[in-house]
Amino acid sequence: MINGNLKASYGADERVLNNRNKQMFVYGCLLLLALFPLFADDYAILMACKMGILLIAVVGVNVLTGYTGLVSLGHGAFVAIGAYATVVLSNLFTALPEGVLPFVVVPCAVAISALVGIVVGLPSLRVKGLYLAVATLAASFIVNFLIEQELFAPWTGGVVGINTPVPNLLGWELDTKREMYGLITVLAVLTLLGTQNLFRTRVGRAFIAIRDRDYSAEILGISLLRYKLMSFAISAAFCGLSGALFAYFYARILPEQFELDLSLELVAALIVGGMGRTMGPVFGVFIVLIVPELIKISMGFATGGDLEMQRYTAPVQEIVFGLILVFFLLKEPLGINQITDRILRSANRWPFARG
Amino acid sequence: MTLNRRTFLATGAAATATLGAPMILKAQPAEYVLGASLPLTGPFATAGQLVAPAFALAQKLFNDEGGIAGTPIRFVTEDSGYVPQNTLANYQRALATEGSALVGYFADSTGAMKLIAPELKGENARLMGSTSFASELANPETNPYQYISGPTYQDQFDILLQNIKAAGGSKVAFIYSNTEFGRDPLEHGRAKAAELGIEIVLEEATKPQGADVPTHVTKLAQSGAEHCILQGYVTGVWPQLIGGARQFGLPVQFHGTFWGMEKLIADRITAEAGPFLAGYQGIMPYRYFYDRADAPRYEQYAALSKVMFAGTPLENYMSTWAIQTMCGLELAMKALRDTAQAGLELTADNVAESLSGIENWDSGGFFGGPVSMVNNKIGTGRVYEYSPETKLFTPVSDWLST
Repeated sequence: MINGNLKASYGADERVLNNRNKQMFVYGCLLLLALFPLFADDYAILMACKMGILLIAVVGVNVLTGYTGLVSLGHGAFVAIGAYATVVLSNLFTALPEGVLPFVVVPCAVAISALVGIVVGLPSLRVKGLYLAVATLAASFIVNFLIEQELFAPWTGGVVGINTPVPNLLGWELDTKREMYGLITVLAVLTLLGTQNLFRTRVGRAFIAIRDRDYSAEILGISLLRYKLMSFAISAAFCGLSGALFAYFYARILPEQFELDLSLELVAALIVGGMGRTMGPVFGVFIVLIVPELIKISMGFATGGDLEMQRYTAPVQEIVFGLILVFFLLKEPLGINQITDRILRSANRWPFARG
Repeated sequence: MTLNRRTFLATGAAATATLGAPMILKAQPAEYVLGASLPLTGPFATAGQLVAPAFALAQKLFNDEGGIAGTPIRFVTEDSGYVPQNTLANYQRALATEGSALVGYFADSTGAMKLIAPELKGENARLMGSTSFASELANPETNPYQYISGPTYQDQFDILLQNIKAAGGSKVAFIYSNTEFGRDPLEHGRAKAAELGIEIVLEEATKPQGADVPTHVTKLAQSGAEHCILQGYVTGVWPQLIGGARQFGLPVQFHGTFWGMEKLIADRITAEAGPFLAGYQGIMPYRYFYDRADAPRYEQYAALSKVMFAGTPLENYMSTWAIQTMCGLELAMKALRDTAQAGLELTADNVAESLSGIENWDSGGFFGGPVSMVNNKIGTGRVYEYSPETKLFTPVSDWLST
C-alpha cells in the first residue's frame, strides 16, 4: 500500500495536485461548482458570485502580501479602477460591436489597474511594512476622492454612481445572475490556477525571495525595482479584473462600495484564509462572506423571526463574527489553509502518523 | 449526451421546474410577507434601532385589520449594516425563502434602492419602498416598482424656497454634505431659486460630519445670506455650524430637510450644547407624533405604542424616521389591499399600478389633507420651527405642495 507522497519522477514532483486526496478535493470542488447552478436558488447564486468576485481580488492581494511580503491597505482602489474603467470604456467605445466590447474593455481595465498599481507601488522601493500600508491607504483615498469629483462626474457618475453595462460575449448577453455565475466561476478558477503556476516560475520565486529577505534577494541578483513593481502590477491587475466583474455583476456602481471597508475585507480574508497559499483566499472569502450570512440565518431561526429580537440579535451577529475571526487567528495563525493541509496530510498518510 | 449550453440550460430549467413546482401549486399563501432591511448596525444604527419597533407595531395593526383581504401579513426584517450590497443580498434571500408570498420590500438607503432597481424585473420584481427621498427614484418609467413615501429632496427644496420667498427672503445659501444625499436637490434648487427671484449667494460643500466649521461660518458671514438651507446631514453640523454661526453673531435663518428634523436629536443637542437651535426651521412631510388632533391613525399608533412599548421611550413618542417608515408601509398596504379588492393577483405589476393610482387618499393624519401619488411620490410638506423652550417643532406654514 502506497501512502504519503511517493514521487518517482520529476513529473510527479512538479504536479500541482501531487496526491490522490488533493485531486479528489479539487475535482470534487470543480464538479460542485459546475453543478451548483442546477440546484441553487437566486440567493445562493448571488452569494457565490460575490464570493467569486471577492476571491479574484483576494488572490491579487495574496500575490503582493502573501507571496511578496508587501503590505497593502489600498487594494479596494484597484477594484474601483477596474470597475469604473469597465463602465467608462464601455461608454466610450460605443462604436465597437457589443459582442466584442468586453474582450476589449476588460483587458484595458485590467491594464489600467496594473499601471496604477505600478505607480502606487513606487513607494515600496523605499518603505516597508506599516509605512507602505499607509502609503497604499493614501492611494486608496486619492482614487475614491477622484471618482467622487464633479469634474469627472460625466464619466464616473460622481457621488451618485453610474449604471453599468450588461456584458455581451459574442452575442451571448449575460443578463442574469446565473449566467454571470458561469463567467465569474471560470475566471476565478483560472485566476487561482494562474497564481499557483506563477509561483512555479522564475518570477514567482523572485517574489518569494523578496518576501523572505529582500537584501538577500538583491544579493542573489533579483532586481527589487523590477520585481516589486511587477508584483504590484500583477496584484492590481487581478483586482482590476475583479472590479470589471463587479461592474458587470451589479447593475450600478457607487463610490461607497469601494471605500476602506473593501480594502480591509480583502486583507482580513487573506489573513484568515492563509497568506502565501493558493487556497488561502478561497477559505478566507468563504469565512468573510458566508459565515456572517450563516450567523444571520441561524439567529433568524433561533429567534423565530421575532421583530423585536432582531434589534438585539443584529449587533450580536457582528460580535459573534468578530469572535469567530479571533478564534481562527488564535487557533491557527497561519490561516484555515493550514488546518485543511493538516487534514489532507493526515488522510494522505493514513493509517500512519498524522505528521 | 454532450453538455452544451442549450442542454445545460434545459437541464437547469427542468431541475428548477421540478424543485419549484410545489411553490407554483401553492397559489394563495397562508400569509403574505413584507421584507425589510434596516441599518441595525453600522453608521446609521441609531436610526435603524428607532425604526425597527415600527415594524412590530405595523404587523399587529395591519393584522388586526384583517391583513390583506383576510390573509395575515408577516414582516421579515434584517440588518444591512447600511451597506447597499447587503440589502441586495437580504432581498434576494427573502425572494428565495418566501417566494410568491413576498409581496413587498422596504430598503434602507438610496444606494440600496439604486442597486436593486435594475434587479426588479419579471419574477424578481416586488413593490419597494424605502427611507430614501432621492429625486432620481421618483420616476415610474425607470423605476416602476419603487416609490417615495413623501416629497423628494427636490420637492422639499421647492417648499422651503417657496416659504423663504413668502417670508420676504431674497438671499439664500446652500450648505450641503459632499455626498449623493447632499447634492441631490442642488441643481433643481438653483433653478427654483432663479424662478422665484431668490439669489443664491453661497454654495458650500462640507464633509458629512466633522466639517471644518470656522471656514464655512466665515464664508457664510461674508456671503450676506439671510437664509441658509442645510442638506445632506442627519445631525452632524447642527452644533458646529449653527452653534458657530450664533457665536459669530450671524442672524442667518437656518433651514433643514427631513433628516434634519428629528425632535429627539434637537432635544439632545439643546440639552448638551444650549438653546442655539431656537428658530431653526425645516421641512417635514408629515405631522409630528404629538400633533394628533386631526390624525386618527396616529391615535391608533399611540394606543398600540402604549401597550406594545410600555416602559420604553417609544411608549409616548414615535420618531419622524419611524413615522416615515409607517407611511411607507401604509402606502404599500393600501396598494396591496386595493389590488386584492379588485380581485387581481398580487404581482408587482398589479400592485405598482394600484400604487400609482392612489388618489385623494385620506392618510389618517400623516399629511394635511387627502393626497395623491404623482410620479410615485407625494409632493407635499409643511415648514416647522423648533423651540428649545417647548422642545417642540411647531408649524410655521400651511401645507405646501409642489
